[in-house]
Amino acid sequence: MFSLVALPRNGTTSGRRLAKVRGVQKEHGVPVTLEQNETLSLLRFEGAIDISLAAELKTLLLQALGSGCEVSVSIAAATDLDVTAVQLLWAAAREAKKAGVGFSLTEPPSRNISATLDEAGLQQFLVPVDAR
Amino acid sequence: MASKADQFKNAFREEGREVLVDLESALLELNSNRGDLELVGRIFRALHTIKGSGAMFGFEDLATFTHNLETAFDEVRNGRLAISPELIDLTLSALDQIRAMLEEGAGGAAPADPDACAQILVKVRRLTGKPDHAAVKGETRPVKAGSETGSVPAAGQAREWRIRFAPGPEFMLNGANPLLLVRELRQMGGLSVRASMAAVPPLGELDPERCYVCWEMVLVTSAGRDAIRDVFIFVEDSCELAIEPGAAAEIAEARPASEADLTARTLAEERSQAGGRRTYDKPDNASSLRVPAAKLDQFVDLVGELVTVQARLSVLAARHDDPEVAAVSEEIERLTSSLRENSMNIRMMPIRATFEKFRRLVHDLARDLGKSVELTIEGADTELDKTVIDQLSDPLMHLIRNSMDHGIEPPEVRAVRGKPATAVIHLAARHSGASVLIAVSDDGGGIDADAVRSRAIERGLTAEGAQLSEQEIFAFIFQPGFSTAKQVSDVSGRGVGMDVVRQRVDSLRGSIDVASKPGLGTTVTLRLPLTLAIIDGLLVSIGDASFVLPLANTQECIELTRADVEAANGKHLANVRGELIPYIRLREYFNIRTPRPEIEQIMIVETEAGRYGFVVDVVLGDCQTVIKNLGRFYRHVQVVSGATILGNGTVALILDPERLAQDAVRAIAHSARGRPPASIAAAAKRDLREGNAAQQRAM
Repeated sequence: MFSLVALPRNGTTSGRRLAKVRGVQKEHGVPVTLEQNETLSLLRFEGAIDISLAAELKTLLLQALGSGCEVSVSIAAATDLDVTAVQLLWAAAREAKKAGVGFSLTEPPSRNISATLDEAGLQQFLVPVDAR
Repeated sequence: MASKADQFKNAFREEGREVLVDLESALLELNSNRGDLELVGRIFRALHTIKGSGAMFGFEDLATFTHNLETAFDEVRNGRLAISPELIDLTLSALDQIRAMLEEGAGGAAPADPDACAQILVKVRRLTGKPDHAAVKGETRPVKAGSETGSVPAAGQAREWRIRFAPGPEFMLNGANPLLLVRELRQMGGLSVRASMAAVPPLGELDPERCYVCWEMVLVTSAGRDAIRDVFIFVEDSCELAIEPGAAAEIAEARPASEADLTARTLAEERSQAGGRRTYDKPDNASSLRVPAAKLDQFVDLVGELVTVQARLSVLAARHDDPEVAAVSEEIERLTSSLRENSMNIRMMPIRATFEKFRRLVHDLARDLGKSVELTIEGADTELDKTVIDQLSDPLMHLIRNSMDHGIEPPEVRAVRGKPATAVIHLAARHSGASVLIAVSDDGGGIDADAVRSRAIERGLTAEGAQLSEQEIFAFIFQPGFSTAKQVSDVSGRGVGMDVVRQRVDSLRGSIDVASKPGLGTTVTLRLPLTLAIIDGLLVSIGDASFVLPLANTQECIELTRADVEAANGKHLANVRGELIPYIRLREYFNIRTPRPEIEQIMIVETEAGRYGFVVDVVLGDCQTVIKNLGRFYRHVQVVSGATILGNGTVALILDPERLAQDAVRAIAHSARGRPPASIAAAAKRDLREGNAAQQRAM
């Protein structure tokens, strides 16, 4: 199920088209999607990202890292991240760092996610936001 | 994944139901014993467990609702709120709603009523004077030692606990969420958390459904170790958990205990007591399993088949006269016997839970009827087969309702009769041979035998001048639609309840005995078989027919010669070491017309009516007996409790000595009065006829 979707215009991608590679279907919408072009892999999270999506998220992360280009994760539309998601992102960021590839969030997490992660001492392990 | 989530929810539902039963009985006990701090602690902890685990398994509404109740009992625990009947009634109605929320999605039960919930919460808040806490909704809270949330025993000395928590490989798969557990700990006091990613493997090797993060936490709280451990109650088996007092705590522990600590310790002691009531709170739950009843039934069925095949093997081994085969056959027999005993034991359950749940019924009915009634329970640890227990609830409920409505007099009548204002309903269970006796007694007005009799005559159940024993008169109350109540109330009076009791007890192959003294009360005793599956029996034969007598009731076997029979002058009495024991000649009873052997055997059997002898031709030996139902056609054959397949492939009827003896006593009573009532005589004839028919069919 390959399709093309437009990525919102921003500093990094400036209107280039990305291929939407895979998605994991939950109840409504697609909670995790990976869009890739020559220079960027963009993962989008929507809704609650929990253990039921963990296996697929791992596959998508491996795929994103496998392309060798910069990885961005958009979590603006995510309502919840559970511990499996946090550790997957953390492990992927560690791998990216080793390979000298950028790995960042496109924007800070929602207040709810921040509070939950903060309560459990996990905030520091969340991937840093792209400063650009 | 969704079905797995459902599995976790179902697991929580099952645990939750147990917790609710315990909670309900603790509340009702508290009602009669208001100063009992232990009970308050038990209630608080049960509510806390429901709340915490509810939130963890996705029952958010249930958790939020329960939180408010927990707050109320925290206030009680800290002496800031008195236990009042209003609080208890409110909590009981809240339990009904919690139960409904728990069952939502499980099908069958009515959903929780949001209006009722809201009303309960308003009332609870009015009692506690506290605002609504949406504690489990995920709000962030300032972290502060001893911050006042529902779970903080505010009066206690805060101390420091070091908690190391590392989820195991199965942790997440079991539906648990570590973040919620940490959140719950945060509610107990000041918490500093340090998570570690040290164990997270490279992405390629990472199991995405496993939690590799582990936590080191320092909790400052006045709650004790057990209360902290309780947060992990449902996940203790699937994680590494260490809770150690911090440096400050060690000093604090040496000081005299504060009241809150005392409560926590009392609870800890209660938990360590063997056979404690809080069965859901198992520190060793790693050593017990939850198995669906259907799987157990299947297991027992298979063991039954094995027992039958083993019997065939024994017969074959005996025929071949080969010592090697005989040795193997005996070994298998021994193993089958142990297997059977074990499988039966697995199905045995104490009747406690069934009994305890009637506390609520008695409490509610007493309130509705304006009577003061106390329920006392005896022998709650008596164990019986799960299938029997499952079917006992309804008959017991009807018996209790009947006692409450008809048996127990209104307070003014009790006062006139000089009886204590508070009436007593007593539930008792005890073993008796291969049966269990369950009695429901009340200290009410007793059954008016004359009223029952005239109603029976009105309904054409008996003739006007019939001579009836008290037992026979009382038996009418179990007739369908029979009621002496002049008014039909919400509780009883339609004559349906007792009929249900009789039908259910019949289907369990049990019997009912009613004893009643005017002005003193009534006792209804249900005699039920311990198990419905496999029993130890003694195989006997009369002519060509084989029968099985349950071994549990059989005491001894003695010879009966023709000389003995002649010496007794035709009376059916045997002299056993100076004691005269009446006997029933089964050959005559079943109308078997083969020649009588010179020497017969009398099986001496203990029954409720005393010792009886059953005369047979030959005793063939003991046998493991898989009980097979005779089917609907033979349901009126009371003296036979089933059939079994023997090793040689033939069928033997399993006799019910209790019923045989009762039948004999009844026959004697009628012949003494000279005129057996038509219905009884017909029943006796029918028993005999159908018994013969069944026997012939079995052959």
